[in-house]
Amino acid sequence: MKEERIICIGCPMGCRVTLEVDERGEVVGFKGNRCKEGKEYVLEEYRNPVRVLTTTLPVEGGGTLPVRTDRPIPKGKMREGVRALAKLRVRPPVSLGDVILEDLLGTGANVVATAALRERR
Amino acid sequence: MAWLETEVLIVGGGVLGTAVARELSRYRVDVALVEKEVDFGWGSTKANMCIVCQGADALEFRPEYRRSRLVWDSVPLMEPLCRELDVPFRRIGELTLIRNSEEMAKYQKLKGRAEKVGFDRLRFIGRDELFEMEPHLNRNVVGALYNPDIAVVDPVRLAIALAENARENGVKTFLETEVEGITSKGEEFEVQTTQGLVKSRFIVNAAGLQVDRVARFLGADDFVLYPVKGYIGVLDKNVGELVRHEIHMRPEAPGQMNILCPSVYGNPFFGIVMCLARKGDNSITRRMMDIALVNLRKILPEVSEREVIHSFAGFMMFRNWELGWHECVVQPSRKVPRFINVCIGYPGVSAAPATAKEVVRLLEQEGLKLEENPHFNPSRKAPPVFSELPESEQEELIRKEPRYGHVICRCETVTEAEVIEAIRRGATTLDGVKFRTRAGMGRCQGGYCTPRVVKILARELGISEKEVTKKGKGSPVLLYRSKELLSGADT
Amino acid sequence: MAQTLEVDVAVIGAGPAGMAAAARAKEAGASRVLLIERQEQLGGLLHQCIHNGFGLFYFGEDLTGPEYAHRFAERVMDLGVEVMLETMVTRLSPEREITAVSKEGVFRIRAKSVVLAMGCRERTRDQVQIPGSRPAGIFTAGTAQRMVNVEGLLPGRRIVILGSGDVGMIMARRLLLEGAEVLAVVEILPYVGGLIRNEVQCLHDFQVPLFLEHTVTKVHGERRVEAVTIARVDRSTREPLPGTERTIECDTLLLSVGLIPENELSRMAGVLLDPLTGGAVVDESRQSSVPGIFAGGNVLHVHDLVDNVSSEAEIAGEGAARFAQGIEEGGEGIAIRPGEGIRYVVPQRIRGRQPVTLYLRVKDMAEGVRVRVGDIWERKFRVVKPSEMLKVELSTDELSRIEGRELLVELER
Repeated sequence: MKEERIICIGCPMGCRVTLEVDERGEVVGFKGNRCKEGKEYVLEEYRNPVRVLTTTLPVEGGGTLPVRTDRPIPKGKMREGVRALAKLRVRPPVSLGDVILEDLLGTGANVVATAALRERR
Repeated sequence: MAWLETEVLIVGGGVLGTAVARELSRYRVDVALVEKEVDFGWGSTKANMCIVCQGADALEFRPEYRRSRLVWDSVPLMEPLCRELDVPFRRIGELTLIRNSEEMAKYQKLKGRAEKVGFDRLRFIGRDELFEMEPHLNRNVVGALYNPDIAVVDPVRLAIALAENARENGVKTFLETEVEGITSKGEEFEVQTTQGLVKSRFIVNAAGLQVDRVARFLGADDFVLYPVKGYIGVLDKNVGELVRHEIHMRPEAPGQMNILCPSVYGNPFFGIVMCLARKGDNSITRRMMDIALVNLRKILPEVSEREVIHSFAGFMMFRNWELGWHECVVQPSRKVPRFINVCIGYPGVSAAPATAKEVVRLLEQEGLKLEENPHFNPSRKAPPVFSELPESEQEELIRKEPRYGHVICRCETVTEAEVIEAIRRGATTLDGVKFRTRAGMGRCQGGYCTPRVVKILARELGISEKEVTKKGKGSPVLLYRSKELLSGADT
Repeated sequence: MAQTLEVDVAVIGAGPAGMAAAARAKEAGASRVLLIERQEQLGGLLHQCIHNGFGLFYFGEDLTGPEYAHRFAERVMDLGVEVMLETMVTRLSPEREITAVSKEGVFRIRAKSVVLAMGCRERTRDQVQIPGSRPAGIFTAGTAQRMVNVEGLLPGRRIVILGSGDVGMIMARRLLLEGAEVLAVVEILPYVGGLIRNEVQCLHDFQVPLFLEHTVTKVHGERRVEAVTIARVDRSTREPLPGTERTIECDTLLLSVGLIPENELSRMAGVLLDPLTGGAVVDESRQSSVPGIFAGGNVLHVHDLVDNVSSEAEIAGEGAARFAQGIEEGGEGIAIRPGEGIRYVVPQRIRGRQPVTLYLRVKDMAEGVRVRVGDIWERKFRVVKPSEMLKVELSTDELSRIEGRELLVELER
């Protein structure tokens, strides 16, 4: 039996929730939340903590292109994710939403441009 | 083989060194000036309250002090010099506040001494007139001693202008050139610098904080200096609307001055809280900040610490500190011929014009032949300051050079073209641009303009942004490119 | 001769506030709407906010700053708003005459109404009195954000951040994901200054050492930052406690110590400012004390959610459009004042004829409290924090029950 601590971010309360988890990783106990929406968030955060990854990529000729994963990826893959992108260079033109890299680290999330880049004059 | 051979070598490019250079350029003399920093005026010249004074407070109009003579002789020279060099000069007047009869008596004596040496423009004013002149003043005063002649300048711009004018008139100036050793070889000196060997017949030691160290290279060390550090704060321009004159109150404790003074640009300066310090340690302490604020509120009760936009510490090199205000050193070395030491200590900026003339006189005394330079041009034109021009001239400038219409420093309304011009005239660092254009001196302290100035410096100097520094070697602004820390094999 | 323009509504600043105000002004019937921006593109600070979390309320989507900016930029352009980019407003008169400078020259713009949308600047080192030396390597967090996200340059690799406001926390994560080390986030209060979401996703996710009730007491390094000394502070005086110092070797100090509404132009125009917000005193249409000058967004009071910035600026845009069209707003003034436990309320006065949303912040963190608006509205809150703005929506019905000329907003424990 283990204890997992998760902070709920559903509202400014920031309840510190403690989950009791058995050997199989199943949640068997739950305490510290003050609402049921929070409980849902915390359970999801425990089972599958995910984050949207955002970063910038250098543009050939100068400047940066802001990018994001088009869906959240596992929290644990954030650092690996940026490292996988570290050597990429982008060449203009780029449209908002263009896929820069497909299926980042096999997560199913694409890395897409969040801004447009005009052709270099 | 020497890197440079000259007749007079000036060590130090602060306001004193550059003033000597410009004064010497009136004559047909081979002059070179070396300065260890990346720009002129980065020692004590940039770290003071910018006041052009007559030496009332420190020197009490005592004629027996040599320093007094140099300051008084400078008084009629400063304004015309600033006009010739196209640098700011603003006459603001000084009010020395009087709180009680003891202070009254002291200032009566001071006025008497001033009159004895020919300063007859000091006058006492009462409460009513005082509060009309300064409506926001603390009401805790009975009157003031008014000196209408006190002025403020921009000492760094003055030093830069002196250097530019000196160069135009034939002086060679070298920045980032530090003296590492001097030996005497008969009728000339051999000076080791970071750029190479300099051979010179005469040396003017105007090295500010390092004046004793430079003298020591040769054993021309005739004096002992004590570095005194002073805290000065800069207030938001909004506070500048609350005060018109320099205001001076007798400090509560030794080691402090209580001064509030408008600058030429509108930000008032306040200070000074002093302590003996190690040379090179320009750090300020919380204690100094707190004392300065307490003192400030005795003059202007309504100021909050949130209105302090910048603080710095300056050094004054005092001789024989424990014996009180004392003599300056503007004289040939007693041990080494043709070596002139120049150290005012305080007030260096105010004494610069006459000190320069005195140094030239001393050089002549030491054997320098002075023949007039018929091509001497006393005038120097400053680069345009967009924010100070009338609209029609602004329009004209933008038409000729559109980048005068690209404002990159919001707080001080500095344009891209002014930054480029500063770089063309010698700025190579963020601080260099700051002192020459004011970009970064406003209330946001570079928050908006820094990324833009870095970019412009990189572009104009043909270097990468990573090579741009704040104040020269060892002070890079940005250390890595994005993704550079991730691309290494070890990550 | 300056080039002159006559417009109905001039909006100063094209960030999330300015774009929203300009778009709504057009939608509300103003014919000539001009949007003036000092940077090279519409969007203001949104371009450097490459992270997500924007638009959750306004669009019901989780967008990054540039994506949020794009939505508004499209709307602005589609509506036919005129835009002046790389143009700096240098003067604003009470008569709503604007002087602006660009590479095209000096412009004199006469506007029937003006919306101030200049946003904020960051509090600086000397305003929080950090002693020590003055080396390279000290940045406010927002300036560092621009360097990293727009210029592609990192301030350093061993970072200490003073202040746990949102910008500071966001930059902690950003720099960590660039391979830098964030050695400490130092916060003077006993709790984190920004949103819980950022505390979790920027600090906890990455195990950033958080020093609550601490501050930086000295900067070391003559040319470049070499270390900072931090110390614990006294709970009540917030002064550093001697003997609690520790020195952290680092090469960069980021400051996230507060935002200040940028009201230089407002002052020039004689707009009355509220010392509690740092921004203008306004009524519910966001009109300031100077007729025809409106304000919205961070220039009015510092927001935490960009969605609210846009919503509020739309109110200002609408008000400006109505003013430009000569529509009179009737009604007597009722002053709204912050009482016990409340730091500020915006708007500071209302006419009370239309439903109005009050935006307010509390002074301290508290749990199990009641917020009361005069006798007409009250609600219980589980927790309130200074960093999370509260919105109180008052209906016409509630407003009709106001007696007298003043409404006090209070916190009751």
